[in-house]
Amino acid sequence: MKTALELQQRIVAFIGGTTDEFDALAREVFAFQFERNTAYRAFCERKERTPGNITNWREIPAVPASAFREMPLTCFPPSEAVAEFHTSGTTRSNAGRHIFKTLALYDAAILPNFAAHLLPDGARMPMLSLVPDEPQSSLAHMARVLIREFGGGFVKRIEPVGHPVCVLGTAFGFLNLFDEGTVLRLPPGSRAMETGGFKGRSREVAKPYLYELFENHLGIPATHIVNEYGMTELSSQFYDQTFRNGHRTDLKRAPSWVRVRVIDPQTDDDTTPGVRGLLRIYDLANLWSAMCIQTEDLGVRDGNGDGFTLLGRATGAMPRGCSLNAEALLAT
Amino acid sequence: MNATLAMVQDAARRVRQAREVLTESRSTEAVIKALASAAQSWLPPSSPWRAQAVEQAPSVTGFSPAMVNEAIDRAFGAITVESLGALLDRELGDRLVLDEFRPHGRVRARAFGVPLITHLLAGNVPPPGIHSILCGLLVRSGNLVRMSQRDTVFPRLFVESLRAVDPDMAACVSVLEWPREDAALTQVALAKADTVIAHGDDSTMAALRRMMPGTATFIGYGQKVSFGYVCREAMTAEQLPALAAAAAEDVSVYDQQGCLSPHVIYVEERGALSPRKFGAALGEAMAAFHTRIPRGTLSVEEAAGVNLIRSGYEFRAASDRRIAVWASQQPNDWAVIYDDDPSFTPSCLNRVVFVKPTDGMPRVLENIQRFATRISTVGVAPLSERMTDFTNRLAKLGIHRVCPIGQMQRPPLWWYHDGKPNLSALVRWTELG
Repeated sequence: MKTALELQQRIVAFIGGTTDEFDALAREVFAFQFERNTAYRAFCERKERTPGNITNWREIPAVPASAFREMPLTCFPPSEAVAEFHTSGTTRSNAGRHIFKTLALYDAAILPNFAAHLLPDGARMPMLSLVPDEPQSSLAHMARVLIREFGGGFVKRIEPVGHPVCVLGTAFGFLNLFDEGTVLRLPPGSRAMETGGFKGRSREVAKPYLYELFENHLGIPATHIVNEYGMTELSSQFYDQTFRNGHRTDLKRAPSWVRVRVIDPQTDDDTTPGVRGLLRIYDLANLWSAMCIQTEDLGVRDGNGDGFTLLGRATGAMPRGCSLNAEALLAT
Repeated sequence: MNATLAMVQDAARRVRQAREVLTESRSTEAVIKALASAAQSWLPPSSPWRAQAVEQAPSVTGFSPAMVNEAIDRAFGAITVESLGALLDRELGDRLVLDEFRPHGRVRARAFGVPLITHLLAGNVPPPGIHSILCGLLVRSGNLVRMSQRDTVFPRLFVESLRAVDPDMAACVSVLEWPREDAALTQVALAKADTVIAHGDDSTMAALRRMMPGTATFIGYGQKVSFGYVCREAMTAEQLPALAAAAAEDVSVYDQQGCLSPHVIYVEERGALSPRKFGAALGEAMAAFHTRIPRGTLSVEEAAGVNLIRSGYEFRAASDRRIAVWASQQPNDWAVIYDDDPSFTPSCLNRVVFVKPTDGMPRVLENIQRFATRISTVGVAPLSERMTDFTNRLAKLGIHRVCPIGQMQRPPLWWYHDGKPNLSALVRWTELG
């Protein structure tokens, strides 16, 4: 147990900015998870990838996100869990569960990354969360951590204020707010973090139009809106570079303790930059669950670095012939 | 090239005129002969039609060249003088009603194909579109065909091959393309038609029905799924290799994109060999089929769908005895997923099939009941006396076809496509006496 806690401490420190090596840490986390999670170990053995035979972090087998819907994926007895976040499960009958032994890593991972993308100017301001305060929502937990650090609170509507604020919400939550008729101008320097799409919702709008609505309804310019990409199955988040760069961009970058690969779904190899593929994410903060997750999202790597652009869910390709696809059949 | 409004209007006029000529100048026997002869001209390995299709179709349909060759053998091999004649005789009672008044109970009757049929094709699987056009030509109607954007090759080349045999007959078909989203053109094509034969998904069908003029007949062929059922008496070491090869063919042909392609194969427990053994044998047979006829190119979304289904089950299979996966080395050429959950699991297609053990037919009926109207074909091995009750129940649920495993992708030319007669909505009758 001592080594596990030491490893956890090293990762927390790495998140905090120490010069540890990602590859070394990732392989240690892999060895730890290989030892502690029988289902994962069995999968790795099936793939003939073990801590003894891999040479770098890229060879660490990925846990499919769907596995979180099938079994508790933990490296500790689930009875010791302190928290559990659930996927929304809007398109699936059974929701995925991410079970935590500690939130130390999760909480440590939130702040520096959020600050780097939403507060790169060094500003401090209250956080207003339109995301409801639900115990099993990872997004709500993130809001709780941010509110604890910066003040603010969970809100149902936005009222005029005399100082800049940062509004947190889902794209659909913001759209609802605008539909309800909120019109005000938040003080200059105010900003917003929006996340998620519209899948399964009653209404959807294109993102550029949504950003216009931010300007019209809250007085927040498009340059002050940052799109967040997060997954219940991970402990770290991704943000676009809009606020940092001063202009709108969909490009996201992983923080130092996370790696993102875009893989060719036909071969499992990296795609070349500019070619679409599945996002595979290595998140050291997922020490107690599964570090390497095969997401169900498509993305594309940018030409000159470790940035990527999220393109949305990969599931539900339309059949090319006359066969009915799964979604249509299940909707019958 | 996308058609313009003027092209659609002109085509409708021309095929109606050509149809007038044809009804006067060709007997049913001549029509049958010309169609069979055009179809047979595709079959030799040296056929120029085959060569063109093999060159052009892979990039449009996504099928491998070997699959295109296989599609040609299947689609055109089935079109013969005998099968065309049988289709007419079975559905109209007597093929000669298209030529003259024929005895019809106490009177006599003759039939004419309607002046104009509009065919709206969909998808990349060639036979439904070819079949549609064949039916229109058999009754000597004019045919306005909007090709599917996923197969702009087979309908066009088929009409060209017919032109080489009988230009007057080919003049009765105009093959055009325009985007499905171009509702204005579709509206015109519908407005001109006496009968509309449409293929497509639910939303397309609903939209077309709303656009239909009041006087025309609408025949819709929606998207369907199919499945297989293996009886325990077929699960012997002696029979298994041939059975698995037959099932692999049903799954792999048209890369599982067709409505006749099985998503799931149920295997009865308590045979000499276990259902799991069927999964393993099917895996071997899928590999052999892939070697002979490789799966085509997938879009990144399709490849992702296969990758995610496969890796999800592989993860579970590693530690869960109820699940097993047999799959190609190359991640996603084909996969057989054994899962003892008896529910019907739809496949992501592209040669990914589920094998599920079952304690018998009642359980399977229970599991498919909710979406029985979405099922086309049930392949059965063997199609024996013991299946009588099962097949009657399937029929009652509205399932269109029960056939031996290995024959799922080979419906006879005269089959009731989606449970409907093929020709009755294409003709108008006159009675005499």
